[in-house]
Amino acid sequence: MADYKAPLRDMRFIMYDVFNVEEQWSQWPAVSETVDQETADAILEEAAKLASRTIAPLNRSGDEEGCKWDHGQVSTPEGYKEAYKLFAEGGWSGLGGNPVYGGMGMPKVLAAQFDEMVCSASLAFTLYPSLGAGASLAIDAHASDALKEAYLPPMYSGEWAGTMCLTEPHAGTDLGIIRTKAEDKGDGSYAITGTKIFITGGEHDLTENIIHLVLAKLPDAPPGPKGISLFLVPKFLVNEDGSLGERNTLGCGSIEHKMGINGSATCVMNFDGAKGYLVGELNKGLNAMFTMMNYERLFVGIQGLGSSEMSYQNALEYAQDRIQGRSASGAVQKDKAADPLIVHGDIRRMLLSMKALNEGGRAFSTYVARQLDIAKFSQDEHEKEKASALVALLTPVVKAFLTDAGLESCVAGQQVLGGHGFIREWGQEQLVRDVRITQIYEGTNGIQALDLLGRKIALGGGTYLETFLSEVWASVDADDEFTEELLAAVGKLEELTRTLLAQSENDPNVINSACVDYLNAFAYVAYGWMWSLMSKTATNKLAEGGEDQSWLEAKQVTARYYFKRLLPRFDSSAAAALSGTEELFALSPGQFQ
Amino acid sequence: MPEYKAPLRDIRFVRNEVLGFEEHYANLPEGQDATPDMVDAIMEEGAKFCEQVLSPLNRVGDEEGCTWAEEGVRTPTGFKEAYQQFVEGGWPSLSSDVEHGGQGLPSSLGLVLSEMMGEANWSWGMYPGLSHGAMNTLEAHGTDEQKETYLTRLISGEWTGTMCLTESHCGTDLGMLKTRAVPQEDGTYRITGTKIFISAGEHDMAENIVHIVLARLPGAPEGTKGISLFIVPRHRPDAPGETNGVSCGSIEHKMGIHGNATCVMNFDDATGYLIGEVNKGLNHMFTFMNSARLGTGIQGLAHAEVAYQGAVRYARDRLQMRSLSGVKNPDGPADPIIVHPDVRRMLLTIKALTEGNRALVYYVAQIADLMKSPDEDVRKQADLEMSFLTPIVKAFMTETGFEAANHGLQCYGGHGFISEWGMEQNVRDCRIAMLYEGTTGIQALDLLGRKVLMTQGATMRPFTKVVHKFCQAQADNGELQEFIKPLTALNKEWGDLTMQIGMKAMQNKEEVGAASVDYLMYSGYACLAYFWARMALTAKEALANGTTEEGFYKAKIQTAQFYFQRLLPRAQMHKACIESGADNLMAMREEDFGDV
Repeated sequence: MADYKAPLRDMRFIMYDVFNVEEQWSQWPAVSETVDQETADAILEEAAKLASRTIAPLNRSGDEEGCKWDHGQVSTPEGYKEAYKLFAEGGWSGLGGNPVYGGMGMPKVLAAQFDEMVCSASLAFTLYPSLGAGASLAIDAHASDALKEAYLPPMYSGEWAGTMCLTEPHAGTDLGIIRTKAEDKGDGSYAITGTKIFITGGEHDLTENIIHLVLAKLPDAPPGPKGISLFLVPKFLVNEDGSLGERNTLGCGSIEHKMGINGSATCVMNFDGAKGYLVGELNKGLNAMFTMMNYERLFVGIQGLGSSEMSYQNALEYAQDRIQGRSASGAVQKDKAADPLIVHGDIRRMLLSMKALNEGGRAFSTYVARQLDIAKFSQDEHEKEKASALVALLTPVVKAFLTDAGLESCVAGQQVLGGHGFIREWGQEQLVRDVRITQIYEGTNGIQALDLLGRKIALGGGTYLETFLSEVWASVDADDEFTEELLAAVGKLEELTRTLLAQSENDPNVINSACVDYLNAFAYVAYGWMWSLMSKTATNKLAEGGEDQSWLEAKQVTARYYFKRLLPRFDSSAAAALSGTEELFALSPGQFQ
Repeated sequence: MPEYKAPLRDIRFVRNEVLGFEEHYANLPEGQDATPDMVDAIMEEGAKFCEQVLSPLNRVGDEEGCTWAEEGVRTPTGFKEAYQQFVEGGWPSLSSDVEHGGQGLPSSLGLVLSEMMGEANWSWGMYPGLSHGAMNTLEAHGTDEQKETYLTRLISGEWTGTMCLTESHCGTDLGMLKTRAVPQEDGTYRITGTKIFISAGEHDMAENIVHIVLARLPGAPEGTKGISLFIVPRHRPDAPGETNGVSCGSIEHKMGIHGNATCVMNFDDATGYLIGEVNKGLNHMFTFMNSARLGTGIQGLAHAEVAYQGAVRYARDRLQMRSLSGVKNPDGPADPIIVHPDVRRMLLTIKALTEGNRALVYYVAQIADLMKSPDEDVRKQADLEMSFLTPIVKAFMTETGFEAANHGLQCYGGHGFISEWGMEQNVRDCRIAMLYEGTTGIQALDLLGRKVLMTQGATMRPFTKVVHKFCQAQADNGELQEFIKPLTALNKEWGDLTMQIGMKAMQNKEEVGAASVDYLMYSGYACLAYFWARMALTAKEALANGTTEEGFYKAKIQTAQFYFQRLLPRAQMHKACIESGADNLMAMREEDFGDV
C-alpha cells in the first residue's frame, strides 16, 4: 500500500479558493474568535500527520488481526489503544464539539477535511472515535443540562466513547417495529431491556466508559415510529462527582464476522434492565436522531471519499512503478523492458475517473459541510433557512453517491493493480472490503434515494430543488468553459424532476421505482457544477499568474474529463428513471424464481 | 449461506427452447450420444452432485482456506473427498476425446457442469477446471506419447493440471518472462524459474500435478517470439516416488476464492518436456485461450446466479416497511421487502443480467462445438465468430456478474456484510474474475484492436449478421416491436460506431485503448439485447401454443422489457464515452496525476 499523503493542496483550494470559507468565518461571531485560515492550516497539517503517521500504519494489521470477543470483553487489534490515546490527547474527539462543555467548536468545513484524512488512513479505526462524536452531537442537541455537564466533557476529551444503538434483529430500515423496552423507574431513570445488533464500537478496550444512545419504547407508547424514545445508557454508571460507579446491566453478546472493517467491533448488545436516562422528549426519539443524522450521513459519505482517495494514491503509485507493455504511440521508456502502466489509455481512464470523482466529491461534501456551518453559525435568518434546505436536500446525495463512487473507485484501483489487486498484502482489496459497508449503514443507499426523491423533492413540492438550482445559476458566467454543458444538464434534471413528480400523482410506485437512478442523475449534475466551479477558479488563478501552474492546469484537464466521460452517465440514469414502474411490478413474487 | 439449487429449468429454456441444442447435437459428429435423455440425465446427476456435495463445502472452504506446509498444500476439509467422488462419477472425462479415455460428449455439455459447479463452489471447481487448460494444450500440440502419458490421466482425473504463465514482473506482458529451459542430451529440458499466481499449483487432491510452463531457451529471440511451452510434472512418470525440482514456495492470502490454492511455484532444474515447436509457445497457447476465457466468463454468471437465489429468498422472508400501494401482508408487522420497487429493481437487474449472460454463453458454447466440425467452412466461420464473442463473454459477463453480486449483497442490507449470510463471500470470490485470464482492459484491447479493427470487422460481421437476420425475420411480428425496433437500430449503430473508431484510430493509435472498455461494454449490452429479444420471442410462442408454465414465460417477457427499458440505456452512455475520443485521457501530463 502506498504511504498515505493527505491531499492538503486540494483541500485548501476547495476551502479557500473555491468557497472562500475564511471570509465567512471572519463574519461569524461564534467562529471568528476560534479559527482563521492560519489556524485552520495548522490544524490540517497536524491532522495530516496524525492520519499518515499514527493511524494509517495500523490499517492492515487491524484488518489481519481483527477484534476478539471473550466472555463479553472485546479487545481491539494491537496498537489501537496507543493510537486512540494520541487521538484523544490531540483533542480531536472534540473538534466540532460545543465549547461550553470543552469542545473546540470548529466549523464542519474544517472537520470534514479531518474526517476525510482519518478515513483514508483507516476506516475501521476511525469509527471508534467518530461514533463518540456522533453521540455527543445528539446529547448536546437534546439532553438536559445535567446530562450534558456529566457526559459531554469526558466524551469531547475522548476519555469516554459513544455508540448509537438503533437496529434490532428484525428491524433495520423499519425502526417503527423495534421491541426494546424502557420502563420508568420513577427516580428520573429508566430500565432498558432488549437486544440491539450491528452496534459499531459497542464494546472495546479503548476507553474506560462507553455511552450508548439507545432507541426504545415505553410500554404505553404509540405504535410505530411515533412511540420511540431516546435514552443515554452508560456502560458504567457515573457518580455525582463524575467518577465511575458500578457496572450497568448491559453487555456485548458477540461480535460479527464481516467482509471488512475487521478492526472495528460490530457488536450484539444486550440490555437487561440497564439504567438509562431520557434524552429529549418522550416518543420524540426519532426526531432527536434526525438532528444528528445530517452530520452522520455526511460523515459516511466522506468515508466513501476517504477510501476512494486512498485507492487513487495506491493505484497511481502502482501505475507509475509497474512496467508492462508498450505505449500505443511508441515506446516511452526505451531503456527499460516495458513502459509504465500510466502510458496506457485504459489505465488513464480508470485513474482519471477516480481523480474526477474524488475531487468532485471533496468539493461537493465541503459544499454541504459549508451549508451545515451557515445553518449553525450565520446571523442571517434567511441565509440560515436556505442553508438548512440545502442540507436537507443534499445530505442523502452525499451519503449515497460518495459511497457508491467510493466502491467504484476502490474497485477501479484494484483493477489497475491487476492480479495484485486481489492479494491482501497490497492493501487494495481491503479498501474494497472496507468501503462496501458504507453503502449500507446509516440508511442503505436505496433509503437515501427514497429520502431524496420522496421526502426532499416530492414532499417539498420542488422548493428545495429550486433553492439548489438558483445557487447553481447564480454562480455561473456565460463565458465559463463548461457553462453551456452544465446548464443543459441542469435543464434536463429539471425536466426529469417535473416528469417524475407528475407521474407520481397517478402512481404511488413512481418515486420508489425511480429514486436510485434519480439520485445518480442528480449527483452527476451536482458534480458537474462543482467541476465547473473548480475549473473556473483554476482558470482565474492561472490568469492571475499564480503559483502551481501545472497543478491548476491539471484541474482544468480533469474537469474536461468529467464533462466528457462521466457526465454522460446522467442520460442513462435518467432514461432508467423515466422507464416507468410497470416492468418492476409485472412479476409476482413467485415469478422471481 | 443460501442453499444452492441448480437452475435446471432456466438452463433448459436457454439450451433447448431458445438455442435449439437438441437439433444442434443431432447434427454434430460428437453429438450423437448426446441424446435428449442422456443430456437430461447428465444434468440431473450433475445438479445433485453440485447441490449435495459441492455447495455445502463452499463456506467451509472460505473460512478454512488452504494451508501451506513444507510437505505440501492442504485443501479445506472435505475438498479431497469431494474430488474423489467427482473422479469416481466419471465427471472429469465428460467432454474429452474417446481415444484417450474420454466420453466424447460435446464441450458445450461440459459447460453446463462448469456452470453448476461454479455456482455451488467456485473455489473447488477451479481444481478440475484448471486441468482443462493442460488437457487442451496436450490435445492440440502434444506428441502421441505425451498424450498417452499425461492426457489420459488428466482425463481420468487421477492427475490435475495447471497453467504456469505469470512471473512476478510480468503478467499481461508475457514477452518479458525469464524462466529458463536448458536442453539436455536426452531431449528433455531443465526448467528453472519462479511463477506466481498459479491456481491449484499445489494441493492434496490428486497424486500428481502436470504443470504447463512457459519458458525461454538460451539464445531465444527476445519478447513474445522466444517463448516455448513445456510439460513439467510434479512427479516424473518414470520416477513417481521422487520430486522433480518443483515446489510450492508459498500460497497467497487473497480477497476471496480462499478454498483454491494460489501458489508461488519454484522450478529448480526441474525436468520438462517440450510441447509443440520451440519458440511457438504463445501461439500454441492461443489455440485454446478462447475456451479458457469462456470458462472464466462462466464465473460471472455463476456468482450472479448465487446472488439472485440468495437475494430473492431474503426479499421474500425479510419483513420491513409497508408497500406504498397498500399493505400486502396484513398479518405481519411489515411487508416482505420484495414489495418495494427499489428492491425489485435490484432483483430484476440481477435476473436480467444472469439470464441474458446465460443465453450468450451457451450460444458461444454452441459455436465452440462447431470449431471441431469436419466441414472446413463451418470451422472457419465458427472461429471468426468465436474470436469476436470470447472477449465479450470473458469481460462483460464478469463485470456484470460483479455488479449482480453486489446487488445481491445490497438486498440483504446490513446482513449482506456479515459472513454467515454468504453474500459477501460471493462478492469477494467474484472479484478475481475481472482480473485473471486477461483483465477486462486486456480483453477490451483484444476485442477492439486485434479482433475487430485488425480484421476490418471480419470477425464482427458473422454475429451482427445473425442479429440482422433475426430482426428482418421478425420485422412484421407486431408483438415483438418493442424489442425489434430498438435492436435493429442498435445493430446498425454498433457497426457505424465501429467504423468511426476505426477511422479515428488511423489518425491516432491511442484511440483504440481510449475506447476499448467502453466499446466492449457497449457490445455486451448489444449482445444481451439480441438474446433478450430472442428469449421474449420464444416465450411468446410458448404462451401462444398453450402452456402450464404461464408464469415462467411471462416472467421472461417482463424481464426482457426490464432489460430494454432500464439496462440498455447504458449502451448510449458508453457510446458517448467512446465518441469523446482519446484527448481527454492523454492530455494530462503524467506528473499532474498527483504527487505520490
